[in-house]
Amino acid sequence: MSKTPTMYVERFSVFQRFIHLLIILSFLTLAITGMALKFAMEGWAAMIADWSGGFAVLGALHRFCAVITFFYFFLTMILLYTSWKDSGKSLFGFIFDPEGLVPNLTDLKEMIGTFKWFFGGKRPYYGRWIYWEKFDFMAVFWGIAVIGSSGLALWFPVQFSKYFPGYWLNIATIIHSDEALLAAGFIFTIHFYNTHLRPEKFPLDPVIFVGSISIDELKHERPREYDQLVASGELDKMSTRRAPTAWLARMATVFGIFVVTTGSILVVSIIITMFKYIQGGH
Amino acid sequence: MSHKDTLLSRAGTSLCTLLITGMVMTGSAFALTNDDCLGCHGDTSMTAEKDGKTISLYVDEATFKETVHAENGCVSCHVEAEVAGDEHPFPMTPVDCSSCHEEIGAIYAKSAHGVAMAKGDALAPQCKDCHSKHDILKPTDPRATTYPLNIPYTCGRCHQEGSAMTATHELNKHNITQNYSMSVHGKGLFESGLIVTAVCSSCHTAHDVQKASVPTSSVNRDNIIHTCNKCHVGIVDKFKKSVHSPLVTKTDKKLPVCIDCHTDHSIGQVHEKDFRLIIAKQCGNCHEHHSETYLETYHGRASMLKGGERTAKCSDCHGSHNIMPAQDPTSTINTANIVKTCSVCHPQANLSFTTYLTHATHNDKENYPYLFYTFWAMTGLLVGTFSFFGLHTILWVPRSLIERLKAMTKGH
Repeated sequence: MSKTPTMYVERFSVFQRFIHLLIILSFLTLAITGMALKFAMEGWAAMIADWSGGFAVLGALHRFCAVITFFYFFLTMILLYTSWKDSGKSLFGFIFDPEGLVPNLTDLKEMIGTFKWFFGGKRPYYGRWIYWEKFDFMAVFWGIAVIGSSGLALWFPVQFSKYFPGYWLNIATIIHSDEALLAAGFIFTIHFYNTHLRPEKFPLDPVIFVGSISIDELKHERPREYDQLVASGELDKMSTRRAPTAWLARMATVFGIFVVTTGSILVVSIIITMFKYIQGGH
Repeated sequence: MSHKDTLLSRAGTSLCTLLITGMVMTGSAFALTNDDCLGCHGDTSMTAEKDGKTISLYVDEATFKETVHAENGCVSCHVEAEVAGDEHPFPMTPVDCSSCHEEIGAIYAKSAHGVAMAKGDALAPQCKDCHSKHDILKPTDPRATTYPLNIPYTCGRCHQEGSAMTATHELNKHNITQNYSMSVHGKGLFESGLIVTAVCSSCHTAHDVQKASVPTSSVNRDNIIHTCNKCHVGIVDKFKKSVHSPLVTKTDKKLPVCIDCHTDHSIGQVHEKDFRLIIAKQCGNCHEHHSETYLETYHGRASMLKGGERTAKCSDCHGSHNIMPAQDPTSTINTANIVKTCSVCHPQANLSFTTYLTHATHNDKENYPYLFYTFWAMTGLLVGTFSFFGLHTILWVPRSLIERLKAMTKGH
């Protein structure tokens, strides 16, 4: 460890962290309540329904969290709008900012570089957002559009069938349910691993809860961002000696591990059930 | 031929009392009055040894006088007791009720109980086991063993799980008394105190009790509708016009009867949870495909969870006793009626809404191609995404471990 005091930079603002907290709470609840219905014939689903007080409670929680989802989607729009205004760029320039959240050619190159790194090559020169992080972010948009629209149809089936054929509700059910399986399966395995459970971070990367990371970590994890911040002179302006407070770090660890554990238990239940079906041949 | 004998031959089995009267009137030397018998048997301490056990030979005159046989002389049943001396033979042959109750005796002899008796089954019930001996009251008397409120106890003495009878006999049904107590009929009796509710003998008859497998049994599949019809007349009328009635549907396949949906001893209240939760299973015994595909939809899935009795069950859409095929204009799911049927749960339902497939499955490419292709498109998306990121993750594990080890060694 260096002898100089550890310096920190902010990676996620309070507003961004608040949005992610809303995502965690609503997504986890949606996944648990929805999967209990999708896999209703399984013992673990019956347990969830028994604990919560029945399928009507699950339905109410599911719809409540759907509202939270639409709300955080709206908050994300505000966040993007203010970021755009603050950046002073044109709309096109903001969306396709090489260091922005939209995937580009650099990501493809980095992805190939990453596979090489897995086999002993040099670690890619990652920037502020790595391609798997961008995928998570874009998936939220895709997911909300698909799950949200099909979910609304299922929530208001009578109104929906005034404009569309009633049997589209059957199609909406398949889309909603399988897209949700994709989303929950992805977040509870791939996102959890990429962000928290991989040996470098295990058991938790608390940055999304505490907001800041040490400059050492930034330099190691995201060398391109670090170099850019040094070059522009912003690092000196941003960096602070203030480490995340002890209680915040503790809260983050306890809450984060609880959520990761809950999601993992659910996904393991789903995987076991899926294997049972595949073996049973539908 | 003595006067007594002439009377006997004329009187017939149902006029036993005349015998006594005749004997008293003629002042026959053999005529024993009940008082003569009670001279000994009116003593509460009178006992005898029989099969190594001490049995009481006391007869309570006051009780006997209230019974249906009050006007009968003791010797009309205990025929061998009619001897000149003080002492009659002991032990006497058992009382034969059929000497008067001839018809019932004949029915009993052919019943499961009578056949068991004839085979020497020590636990087979005789008349006295259900009707008692000197305390036989009319079935309308609340104290009678055959009064509706008492019948389950009377039958239960043998048919309760754990009794000597159930322990030694091979029976098709178990826990029948417990199941009956929890059933709609049992609750009607034990909770609501209804004497019009069905008790054991309402369905099984009193004397003609037969196993359900016997074709003439009142509880045989082919006769059960007739048996239920004794009380549920309006329901059977509807049922006879429905698709499940053999009068409407001519088929070699087995058509359902009351007990196939409602079960027998444990028959539940149809609006209650216990019954609503078994509907899909009961219908599924014959309509397997429809039951399975129903369970794939929201209605079916939700019905498996706590509180699931509230979602639509087969009978909520198709009706129950009045069930008709969809093309019949009286069917609840006929285009003419389906909006009304769905509206019970979905107010303001419209015709487009009713095209929702309540028995949809994505496994049927022929009938539901759009569901089939949607499912496989989604499955492709899932398999593709997880394959790529799964591989990505698996390859990352060893690299990440190395990085962690590097960081640890560097840190020290």
